[in-house]
Amino acid sequence: MTLDPNAMAHLLEITGGDPEFVDELIDTFIDDAQSQIAGLRAAVDTGDDAAAVRPAHSLKSNSLNVGATTLADLSRSIEEDGRGGPIADLAARVESIATEFESVRAALLAERAAR
Amino acid sequence: MTPGRVLVVDDTAFNRRLLVRLLTSIGHETVEAEDGRQALDRLTDAGAAAIDLVLLDIVMPVMDGYETLAALRADERLRDLPVIVISGVDELDSVVRCIQMGATDYLPKTVDPEILRARVDASLTQKRLRDNERDLLATIDRQRTQLSRFLSPQVAALVSSADGEAMLAGHRREITAMFCDLRNFTVFSETAEPEEVLGFLRAYHATMGALIVEHEGTLEHFAGDGFMTFFNDPVLQPDHAARAITLATAMRERFASLSADWRRRGHVLELGIGIATGYATMGRIGFEGRYDYGAIGNAIIMAARLSGDAAPGEILVAARTFAEAEPDLPAAITAQPAGDRQLKGFSRAVPTFSMHRAPSATPEEATR
Repeated sequence: MTLDPNAMAHLLEITGGDPEFVDELIDTFIDDAQSQIAGLRAAVDTGDDAAAVRPAHSLKSNSLNVGATTLADLSRSIEEDGRGGPIADLAARVESIATEFESVRAALLAERAAR
Repeated sequence: MTPGRVLVVDDTAFNRRLLVRLLTSIGHETVEAEDGRQALDRLTDAGAAAIDLVLLDIVMPVMDGYETLAALRADERLRDLPVIVISGVDELDSVVRCIQMGATDYLPKTVDPEILRARVDASLTQKRLRDNERDLLATIDRQRTQLSRFLSPQVAALVSSADGEAMLAGHRREITAMFCDLRNFTVFSETAEPEEVLGFLRAYHATMGALIVEHEGTLEHFAGDGFMTFFNDPVLQPDHAARAITLATAMRERFASLSADWRRRGHVLELGIGIATGYATMGRIGFEGRYDYGAIGNAIIMAARLSGDAAPGEILVAARTFAEAEPDLPAAITAQPAGDRQLKGFSRAVPTFSMHRAPSATPEEATR
């Protein structure tokens, strides 16, 4: 699921119903994710699979907080595989993360616009 | 709940913002760090306001949560600082490891404000209790230091120990008592200027007092030129008889250099020391408002009588004490029979020895 429909409501709820702060969180999520994806790509370029674990871990936990379930699952599988050694098809999996992230970003911005 | 200052350590801006927002909304002040290194720098910054609680992410660049915890626990000043580990639901193994390393608690990464509030409050309460406890211990320590200036260090320690009350109430034990006073002191104090007498007494008390502390004797009292010290109480000392004799020989050697100056001015001052071993009753003696830790028993009286009977510069020891001390005495210390003494208050004559010490090779040895 690109975006859990309850996620935004949950964020609003825990921040005491402050839409401006939720917007700020969405921006922060997008910024963080871009540097996490850059980190994943750097791991692919250098062939250092272990270096993919930390950005995958961070992207996973941030994705869970905004309800980006699929993005979280993709990141988690890289994190888990990476802890055990070389990661199969890392380059292709990082690109599917990048594609999924674009969908998440679009969905988040649409949520915001709809409010 | 009193607000605290919380250090949020997480490499992702998203988590820091969320946590900071939640913490400030329940009244806490927050400080942020992006990794363990930054956190430690902030915590060890003497100029910055003290942190009450750390929220610590595990997976971070530069210095991760484990390294940070290890560094905190290795630092005397930061050891007791509460740390709540922030962790994903699938990281329970990491949480266990962190708690084994000294973390206080953990928080799931998908934050629930109520859980956050409860855990932060619990950790801050615990910290305050620990801080109070530490302040209390520091106060007790300070009082003990102050007390030890009025009492023997052993008695001062006893007062604040767990079995202190029972010991102070009174107990019976074998001790070795040592009594020492000065020959010719009365003549000296009548002929010398009062300032000179006081000056001499100060030097005498300081020197003898330091030796008693060094040999771990319990000073029962000192009055003018006399000292009463005993061994094996309140701290048990299996070699109490030998300790008393060793102390006496050290006192005599030290006194020789102290009195040389006065001898040149025509005042011949000498120590007379008596030592006896026996059972005595020790405990609180006195009245409300003024108690002493005292000893009552024949050994005390015998030591005082032997001191009175001793020739100038002599260390007179009851035969029983010498017999107990002999296996523990340094080879340099030897004994000569000094006859059976008729002492006031004792129906039977007391066999005695006079103690000698071979001049020591090094000054350090002389103080032993």
